Amino acid sequence: MFHVYKAYPGDPPSLSDINLHVRKGEFVFLTGPSGAGKTTLLKLVFCAEKATKGQILVGGRNIARIRESAIPYLRRNIGVVFQDFKLLPHRTVADNVAFTLDVVGMPRREGMARVTQVLKQVGLEHKAGSLPLRLSGGEQQRVVIARALVNDPTILLADEPTGNLDPALTVEIMDLLCAVNVRGTTVVVATHDASLIARYDKRTVRLERGLIVADQDGAKAARRMAGAE
Amino acid sequence: MSATAKAAYFWRAAVQGIRRAPFVHFIAVLTIALALFAIGLARGGGELLESLISSIGSEVELTVYLKPDATDADAKEIAAALSKRTGTEAVVVPPDVALGRLAAQLGELGSTLTGLPENPLPVSVEVRVPEAVRGPGGLRALAEKVRQSPAVEAVDYGEEAVERLSAIALALRWGGLVGFALVLLATAIISSATLQLAIYARREEIEIQKLVGATDRFAKIPFLIEGMLQGLAGAAAAVGGLHLFWALAGPRLSSLLAFLSVGGCVARGVDPVLALQLAGLGCGLGLAGSFVAVGRFLRV
Repeated sequence: MFHVYKAYPGDPPSLSDINLHVRKGEFVFLTGPSGAGKTTLLKLVFCAEKATKGQILVGGRNIARIRESAIPYLRRNIGVVFQDFKLLPHRTVADNVAFTLDVVGMPRREGMARVTQVLKQVGLEHKAGSLPLRLSGGEQQRVVIARALVNDPTILLADEPTGNLDPALTVEIMDLLCAVNVRGTTVVVATHDASLIARYDKRTVRLERGLIVADQDGAKAARRMAGAE
Repeated sequence: MSATAKAAYFWRAAVQGIRRAPFVHFIAVLTIALALFAIGLARGGGELLESLISSIGSEVELTVYLKPDATDADAKEIAAALSKRTGTEAVVVPPDVALGRLAAQLGELGSTLTGLPENPLPVSVEVRVPEAVRGPGGLRALAEKVRQSPAVEAVDYGEEAVERLSAIALALRWGGLVGFALVLLATAIISSATLQLAIYARREEIEIQKLVGATDRFAKIPFLIEGMLQGLAGAAAAVGGLHLFWALAGPRLSSLLAFLSVGGCVARGVDPVLALQLAGLGCGLGLAGSFVAVGRFLRV
């Protein structure tokens, strides 16, 4: 991201002069208090919002000037774990996950094999036929992660993926995201949970009032957060 | 990426969409069915009206009165010319036949005609005017042409009545057309609004589809298929309703109109062409309504 600004009419800028470089295969925590601009920054990456000013390169492509018709193809390479899950309540877990594969036109049989594989990965293969509302918060979060991973994205964006979970489930989800990162996927996790950052030795970018106020490597960030705790 | 897999997905998604919200879809189908029923009824009513006008118009007759010195050959020649021009049979009416008819029309007073020293009525030629020349302009032109013959004394076709009938027919046709257009417009608006309600309930699904990389076209197609299926179901219900309506009310309407006119007005009901037109219109309404409605929720 180069000198990226995002402002909504009548409001102070959500993001100001953001310069951020995330390398391929990196794991980055995006942290800061509520309203710091973490979610907005993630939205800019998967084109749910457009930057007011500046350049955003994803895989070498400037998405600040992307055509509307090209956005879906960009999104197919980015898995997103939404804060509010965004699961379809009337579709089964398997159907929710398979949804991403339907979009790319994968034949149903082949798609279901892939869905089973990814549900196994998140430990939910036994819940494939359940409806999302019958699952716990942690299980729903894992369905969302499965949906984000099923298409083998090069980038995974997670917005407060552990926000509603108890400590045990938080660790479970974070370990899952780390495992995905080990397999080569670039992972960006937005969180305001200092204990999470302290626990994992990862690069941390801190946002406050739309500005990047700190960008520290794993060890430093963990030490700082451990001190803050 | 397989086109077959996508097509299979579109149909599966459309059918699942209908199965998941049967009530909303039932309302949409009912709205389209009622709208198409109204259109079918308007068209059937229009046809009945046309048939009534045509039936009344078939009474229009042109009578050519020949000069007293005209010969039988003149009468036959004029009748032949009229037959050729109108395509219907022209009848020569000898003076004694005309006098007999007049006596019959006069009833009891008819007997006074027998006292006349000689038959004052001329030879005449009568022709039932076909629909093609039944308008005031056509009849006037025909009368002018016939008048040019030296053997013709006068031509009568009830000019005033024809002009009045023609004006009434024109007003009814235009009124029918405007009414039909209004029904069609109302139908399009109501159907679109109902389909929008149906799609509004599933706006989240569209949003999620877009967020996981669906193109606008991909998100739209299942809804368009749903719209088309709703239109077809609505059309089928409307055709069924119209069939029932004409089966029950048709004979009564025909007999009522036969009483008003001379006959020949028959409520035809639902023919295959109308059924196909309604199916096409239903599909079009469903597709257009869904297209407009789903477009509103695609901006993600």
